[in-house]
Amino acid sequence: MSLSVQDRAEYIATFRFIQVFLMEALARWVPQTPESEVKVLFGRHIWDLAQQADGLGKRGYELRSPSQFSLRPVDSYVELLEEFARTETTPQKIHGFYDVMLPGLAARYQNYLERTDRLLDEPSVRVVERILGEFKRMIGESEALRKELPELRLADKNWPAKLAKREASEPNIVVRRSSAAVA
Amino acid sequence: MPKDDRHSVSATDNFDPALFGPAPARDERFTEKRRWIDCTNFPNDHALRIIEFFHRQMNEELNGVENAAQSLADFPDADWNVRMSIARQCADEARHVQMFRRIFESRGGKLGEYPILNFQFRIIAKLGDLLSRLVVQNRSFEAGGIDAVSFAIEEARKRGDQELVDLFEMQQADEITHVRFANEFISESIRKDPRAALRVAKALTLASTAFIQVMGREAIEKVEYLTDEKGRLEAGFGLEEVKAATAQAVKRRASYESH
Repeated sequence: MSLSVQDRAEYIATFRFIQVFLMEALARWVPQTPESEVKVLFGRHIWDLAQQADGLGKRGYELRSPSQFSLRPVDSYVELLEEFARTETTPQKIHGFYDVMLPGLAARYQNYLERTDRLLDEPSVRVVERILGEFKRMIGESEALRKELPELRLADKNWPAKLAKREASEPNIVVRRSSAAVA
Repeated sequence: MPKDDRHSVSATDNFDPALFGPAPARDERFTEKRRWIDCTNFPNDHALRIIEFFHRQMNEELNGVENAAQSLADFPDADWNVRMSIARQCADEARHVQMFRRIFESRGGKLGEYPILNFQFRIIAKLGDLLSRLVVQNRSFEAGGIDAVSFAIEEARKRGDQELVDLFEMQQADEITHVRFANEFISESIRKDPRAALRVAKALTLASTAFIQVMGREAIEKVEYLTDEKGRLEAGFGLEEVKAATAQAVKRRASYESH
């Protein structure tokens, strides 16, 4: 089934919501996280996430949404995000963010790329592909830090798999709105 | 493991809780002190003075990341453009941490070797609104940093320390950007609501009172540098504000030299 301009705007606005949420989660963690190297990693990636949200916000406007517009995803996904943002230990923050939440979001972006018409929606494709490339770099930087600091290893090796299962349990996170609600 | 700063701080250091919030988390490599006088303050001609400075500055930059991040988390409804600038500041301050750590370690320093101060986070994160935080973090502390770095660039140049000149010049360019966006936000806030000027004044008074509690007059009066007028103008200060800052710095230095 093809996507309308409104469908695309809703996807983009939902992605923006998640990007901003993840940016805020890292921001909240920075003062609470003891390891200075992790604060630095999060501090750098806050800016990446902000720029990605900004790109989506600008693209949403081109798709006839208000500028920098976000749409709240389905409740179950928001609950997952909120629960994840309350993660306390540094190893769980690192593994959860870079091994589960970013790859999970990347899969959703990939799914969007497969569903949209790459010619009609080329500007969105460019924004999303750029984000995917940046996610790879961010994940790579977190892996390099984990090699440098073995204390960031997880005690419970099964924890990421459990989180990933929950993350993937809601394939469609976009809440459909009426035209009036989007514009 | 997080280190509870109560274990490393004298019981006599009871600051006004209205001015200071909790410390940011640090791991066990670091020892926090609350007052400047309890830090390792080498004399000007001591070989380790600059090494200790790199360590101290690295931690101040970490406070910069923490403050910017806390503001991003605490004010989700702020204008998106200012949030973008704050997010950028998080990354800049994080890069500064790395810059100072690199030069510190390359010259023989070991992380945690010297005590640290977290007064910037304790003071700024305690302020309850974004305007006040940007007034203190960016327009006051970072603007002071522009002045200090100009002086430090000249000192490093005189010693032929090009690596340090390069580092400071980059840091200063970033700081000018941070002060500029804050000045724009502050001006716009006052334009929209002139009563915001009262909040600006109150925040500066609170921060100044808290700052003196941490640093003591002896540390403040020892400051040798004046204002970087060009840097401050680039950062969005008005000509009259720059002249006033210069007059204040001249007065402070004259007072120090007369003792």
